[in-house]
Amino acid sequence: MKKMQKIIVLCLIISLAIGSFAFAGGESEIAGTEYSPEMDSWAQAAQLGKYDKKQDWDEITALAKEEGEVIIYSASSRMAAVGESFSKMYPEIKVTSHDLGSVKTFEKTVGEQEAGIFNADIITTGGSGNFIYDLIANNRVVNFVPSMFADRIAKENKEPALVRIMEAIVFMYNTEVNDAPPITNLWELTTEAYRGKVVIKDPLASLSNLMGVATIAQHADEMKKAYKEFTGEDIVLSEGVPDAGYEFLYRLLHNDLIILDSGSKTTGASGKKGQTDPPVSITSFTYLRYNGTKDYTNGLIYPVEPADGVIYPTYTAIAARAAHPNAAKLFTAYMLGDPSITLDTVIEKPFTEGKSLEILQGLAPYYEIGSVSPRDDVPLPEGGEAWNEMNMWVVDPEYMWYDAPKVQDFWIKESAR
Amino acid sequence: MSKTLKFYRAKLKSKPELTLSIFFIIVFSFLIVVPFLKMIHTTFTYQSYDLRLARGAVQGAFTWFHYQRVFASDLTKSFFITPLLNSIGVGFSVTIIAMILGSLLAWLFVRTDIPHRKFFQTVIVVPYMIPSWVIALAWQLFFQNTRIGGQSGVLSTFFHIDVPDWLSYGFVPIVICLALHYYSYTFLLMSGALQTIDSELEEAGSIAGLKRREILRKITFPLVLPALGSSFVLTVTRSMGTFGTPALLGLPVRFFTIPTQIYAMINARNMGDSFVLALVLIVMAITAISINNKIIGVRKSFVTMKGKGFRAKPMELGKAKPVLVTLLIVFIIMIIVLPIIMLTWSTFMLLPDNYSFSNLTSHFWVGKSDAMISSGEPGIFLNRGVLRATLNSVKLGVLASIVNAFLGLLIGYSVVKNRGTRISKLIEGVAFAPYVFPGIAFSAIYLGMFSKSFGPIPAMYGTFALILLIVIVKNLPFSSRSGIAAMLQVDKSLEETASIQGIPWLKRFRLIILPLCKSGFVSGMLLTFITAMRELSLVILLVAPNTGLLTTMIFSYKTQEQTQHVNGVTLILLVIIILANIIIKKFANTKTGQSINLG
Repeated sequence: MKKMQKIIVLCLIISLAIGSFAFAGGESEIAGTEYSPEMDSWAQAAQLGKYDKKQDWDEITALAKEEGEVIIYSASSRMAAVGESFSKMYPEIKVTSHDLGSVKTFEKTVGEQEAGIFNADIITTGGSGNFIYDLIANNRVVNFVPSMFADRIAKENKEPALVRIMEAIVFMYNTEVNDAPPITNLWELTTEAYRGKVVIKDPLASLSNLMGVATIAQHADEMKKAYKEFTGEDIVLSEGVPDAGYEFLYRLLHNDLIILDSGSKTTGASGKKGQTDPPVSITSFTYLRYNGTKDYTNGLIYPVEPADGVIYPTYTAIAARAAHPNAAKLFTAYMLGDPSITLDTVIEKPFTEGKSLEILQGLAPYYEIGSVSPRDDVPLPEGGEAWNEMNMWVVDPEYMWYDAPKVQDFWIKESAR
Repeated sequence: MSKTLKFYRAKLKSKPELTLSIFFIIVFSFLIVVPFLKMIHTTFTYQSYDLRLARGAVQGAFTWFHYQRVFASDLTKSFFITPLLNSIGVGFSVTIIAMILGSLLAWLFVRTDIPHRKFFQTVIVVPYMIPSWVIALAWQLFFQNTRIGGQSGVLSTFFHIDVPDWLSYGFVPIVICLALHYYSYTFLLMSGALQTIDSELEEAGSIAGLKRREILRKITFPLVLPALGSSFVLTVTRSMGTFGTPALLGLPVRFFTIPTQIYAMINARNMGDSFVLALVLIVMAITAISINNKIIGVRKSFVTMKGKGFRAKPMELGKAKPVLVTLLIVFIIMIIVLPIIMLTWSTFMLLPDNYSFSNLTSHFWVGKSDAMISSGEPGIFLNRGVLRATLNSVKLGVLASIVNAFLGLLIGYSVVKNRGTRISKLIEGVAFAPYVFPGIAFSAIYLGMFSKSFGPIPAMYGTFALILLIVIVKNLPFSSRSGIAAMLQVDKSLEETASIQGIPWLKRFRLIILPLCKSGFVSGMLLTFITAMRELSLVILLVAPNTGLLTTMIFSYKTQEQTQHVNGVTLILLVIIILANIIIKKFANTKTGQSINLG
């Protein structure tokens, strides 16, 4: 019996060894900004990345049809609709779209590539820090800007990664109870009047909301100035709080900020009709559309000091060593809409059908209140015109990458009871 | 050497349980132990996320960073201690309530002359089939107060009752909702245990002059103790490890538990910290198991299935009967009928939370795509994605349940046959290990492990096989437990007799053991089917579009905030699970209460 046990222990050790070996193989990494030899030959063949010199769209289209497929990892369910209309325009190309949410898009892309799998063609998601400092910086994706749009997109929206759509975190109030925005300075939300009367979707569960609160923390100087304007006095920081940006989050959390698990609940909290004492919500601009579809009565709080909101981009790029690089290029161009659109183009509802779909193309499902194309020649959709009047901060990928973890730690520390 | 080999070969042949044990040890060490070690390894090395907090650190280098952050930093209180106390508080409160409730119900149905027993027994296990957060959703519909703005619950809207915060959110509702889900564990285990106790044993006590209370204490209680122990372990570990309900009811008053913190960390791709917390959960689960073993003793089991029949004598309820029946009906309406009605109703509401009749629509079931409603998603019955997901989920459930039921019995066989040896303990322990493994951590590791081909195993990335594999492994704890329980009840002498007559092992297994364990086999199958159908966190990282499941569908609708679709697909899931329950029962022709047996 003793010998038997020894054999068993031996079996155990051997299989563990095999197992660990399997891991060791899975942990290789593309380090630095230099292309690996495989990556280099792929980029050369696909004319992407540093070999993306001149785009011949007839050739790209022909090659794309030959490739016959494009696989997308996205954080948006509407990407499926984009795929459907794309397939109608190019029946030769099959579109497979994985709707993963931003966190799992990164998880899956990085996990697969580290395991040596290059399954995706297009990666499109928000999450600025991760996208720029992990995916782009480590060559897990390559930036690709379709040449016909190159001069219609502002530099910051095409470098270091192409922006597909912009959205924003804003402040909303109930227009049934208040005739005008109830606050003019963000610091009012930290006063006794707003104790338990501000609602936000959990920034720990939502990257866009984390970007929102982190961007406020980043603008400490503006927050400090706004405080002085509001109270006439210099701000006194709470113990252990580094600056006025963090202090705002601190006071918000200690003013019984209400954290919810869903964006529509958050938007409904401020926007549902028939309330007597509704809260203010910190939520996505695009949820303003629920005024039409869910009969809410939300209004945007602006102008407000020091900023009316935080713009966060959704990027798109072509995945490293993608099997269908040309189909990916074609799809990227499609996502930005037809090049013929101008600011004077009249785009009628419904956007996802008929003539409107024909010119909006991949923009159609995203053509709504609170979503804005990076192209400077696409008109804003009806109801979303406020975007251009608002003074908003833009998410900074570098801050998100290096400082958001600190903001997140701070949030965990101060939100627990 | 060859002589020794021959000796072992002969020995293995005469002891099939040894061959099986060796097989299981090899397979388990790869499928369970290696992922576990990998997880520990992660907690001791810098991950990519950490490089953002600790600049200059080298990815993969050894560090105490995560342990320091979790256990000895200014984060410790918020990140670890408070959530830990909350988790323990919830876990034990839920367990106490659930065990009392479950035991009482089991006793009522097995040991008394309660009418409509069959009907009640079937209905009372439905909460086990409903995802636990459904009850939490229903709770919110009733008890939500004005704290979070928006629509208030039924109580404050229609009855103008000012619901206090402690009843709307946080500890109290979390405990109640979880207890109403987890009592079914104790109920099933105790029903099984009570059913197999020969009432002759108790009668013997009575003849020997024991009083009623003494019989209960000296005979019944020791006999059901193993079942109580299993209920304790299952309920306490599960309720401490659950995420959905605490997230829904705890967040608005910032009541955090260990799983909600793990989830937040995984969301940030902060694997190191989240795995440290996952290890905390694992340690707590192991503690619960060893407490159980200390008190009850693993080896204390009773052979109660000897191949001869017995009959339990029901206790007469007398005057209490109508009262108890009324209570039961109210209970069932409150925890099963109302939540399901609410769920169904919500799928017919054009605007969520608007209960007027003018708001009713059949769009979410049979409507064609309309861009103005739920981003143009067509109604559930017209939705190809839902159809494909339904087929995949059923396929997964059926395959996993068959494989798991067989594996469970084989594990049970090798554990029970080797009982008392270290191998037996090892297999039993390792087979139970996936239970304490947080699903999301498990799948993150599997994704890395099986994406590439190595040795004889092909790359399984994006395949249905990988999803099947992880579901099978994650369900091993249940199937092995029910396998062990089933085997324990089979008298050794039955197989030994056949063995002496020279009947080969396979035949013995098929003709003697399998039929005797039929009830355990079927219960194992049903259990796996249900959990496989409900599984989300385990598979979410592994699904590809053509391998999508009903739960991943629910998840993606949930992220898109399409409430009606979420609830509609949940209903489909529920209907399939209940149908499967009925079919398996019909097919296997077992007693109702026995068909799910977690023991």
